[in-house]
Amino acid sequence: MIATIKGEWRKNRFRPAFLVSSGIIGAIVVLVYGVNWYQALHPAAGDRQVSLLTLYPDQFVNSVMGAGFPLGAAMAIVLGALIAGSEYSWGTMKTTLTQGPGRLTTWFGRVVVFAAWMAILTLILFAIGAAASVVVASFEGHAIAWPAAIDIAKGIGAIWLVFAVNGAIGLALGVLIRNSAAALGVGLIYVLAVEILAVGFIDSLNGGAYRWIGNLFVGQNATALLQSFTSPAFGRSLAPSIGAEQAVLVLAAYFAGLVIVAAALIRQRDVT
Amino acid sequence: MENMTVVETNGLTKRYGNGVLAVDSVEMSVRRGEVYGFLGPNGAGKTTTLRMLVGLIRPSSGTATVAGYPPGDPAGMARIGSLVEAPGFYPYMSGRENLKVVADFASVNHKRVEEVLDIVELTSRAGRKFGTYSTGMKQRLGVAAALLKDPELLILDEPTSGLDPQGMAEMRKLIKDIGQGNRTVLLSSHLLTEVEQICDRVGVISRGKLVTQSTVQELLGEEGVLVRAQPVDHAYELLASMFGSAVVSRQDGAIRLQTDPAGSVEINSRLVAAGIGVSELRPFERSLEEAFFQLTGEKQGS
Repeated sequence: MIATIKGEWRKNRFRPAFLVSSGIIGAIVVLVYGVNWYQALHPAAGDRQVSLLTLYPDQFVNSVMGAGFPLGAAMAIVLGALIAGSEYSWGTMKTTLTQGPGRLTTWFGRVVVFAAWMAILTLILFAIGAAASVVVASFEGHAIAWPAAIDIAKGIGAIWLVFAVNGAIGLALGVLIRNSAAALGVGLIYVLAVEILAVGFIDSLNGGAYRWIGNLFVGQNATALLQSFTSPAFGRSLAPSIGAEQAVLVLAAYFAGLVIVAAALIRQRDVT
Repeated sequence: MENMTVVETNGLTKRYGNGVLAVDSVEMSVRRGEVYGFLGPNGAGKTTTLRMLVGLIRPSSGTATVAGYPPGDPAGMARIGSLVEAPGFYPYMSGRENLKVVADFASVNHKRVEEVLDIVELTSRAGRKFGTYSTGMKQRLGVAAALLKDPELLILDEPTSGLDPQGMAEMRKLIKDIGQGNRTVLLSSHLLTEVEQICDRVGVISRGKLVTQSTVQELLGEEGVLVRAQPVDHAYELLASMFGSAVVSRQDGAIRLQTDPAGSVEINSRLVAAGIGVSELRPFERSLEEAFFQLTGEKQGS
């Protein structure tokens, strides 16, 4: 396993897809902070009311959650599909599988490095969010105070889980379809359209009698988990129908399930 | 005593889900230290067989032992280097970095990367991205990757495919050099001259079946003598009376004798003494091409 992790890390550490994604995630956070700062200072400019209090360092964990879903999740799907699908289109699947480590060892090594990259993207998201909040506080003359370490850790864990689960969708699709472009197309259409329509339809059936089914979808649980990070500074918000603990369990089950299904495919199928 | 057989298959068969029988009960035996040519036309089942030997494809039935282990067994894979079909590397990384990735997967020290780059004469261009490589450079990098483990068995699938004549000649020389000593090379090819130049033994596969397996010399058959003489009918009758009609045949206006070429002087003098004009008399050897088409039932030039 160590050998495959070393190999996977070597090939992915400077991979353009990850480097570009790091830049994009950082740019998204800066953009979100910039727009919200402007709207907070010019409340007449838009109909959305943004409080300056949400942009200070003590609220930065809650603020960066907005970048987690669907934008960050969509990016994770794209990355997963690229990482898994390109192994087939470049013919590198056969190169790695003929070196010695077994198929499952190779696959789990790949998943470990992918999960590590999701953690790196999460840390970049938090670091830039924290830096942006300090810039706003400094300009506005507000005292710099940070959230409790446990809240920062929970926030990092939540975003990482959302990235990892959506990345696993991309990985599994890449393995299933054996082509990166098709996999990322299917993944994006699913998370940005199909799942939303399906949940809306299920929730509308029989006066919401089947809402529990809708609550089992990835998007619903990711949204509920991220929305659990809020405070009075953000104003009143509706309590999500899914608790944070349940959302974590459902998302973790999705991650494990997707990784295992893809592992079974890799183990069973011929590499042609 | 050390096992002299490096690759052994028993009834190795692959039938795909759509019913296509790609490989049909192949019984192959590759001996230690030899360069074995796996010869067959395109689509004969060469690549499918090699993929089964390195564990990329599971056989539908039959068994194989490769370097002492079942195909795909990590212990066996540690002793096998392979290049199956086109070399697969990461286009955004340099040739050297690609080899380091492969070395990591194979648990090979990175020092070996420079050694194999030197063997395939790619050191000066190892810093360039793989995506910018020519076909010849890609093939060389593929061979370098296959050599990383310093394997006892090297499996190369059509390594000269897509190369220009100079590249083909260089690759053949490289394979000959690699095949020196105790290393075994299993080389697939659809090029008869390539197999004739490089290989010690050859297995011919056609429509999924291994139709023969022998040394190149055995495949070429016994030596003979080719005679062109006038009048040809008279010459044929005389030679048939001398050697027996079973070893005399006519071919494209000439007469072919299955006999030791050392008897050419005697043949010439007997023909001349009988008043027959001899325009050509030379040792004759069946070409590998002829043998191949005879064995596979394919038509020459088709």
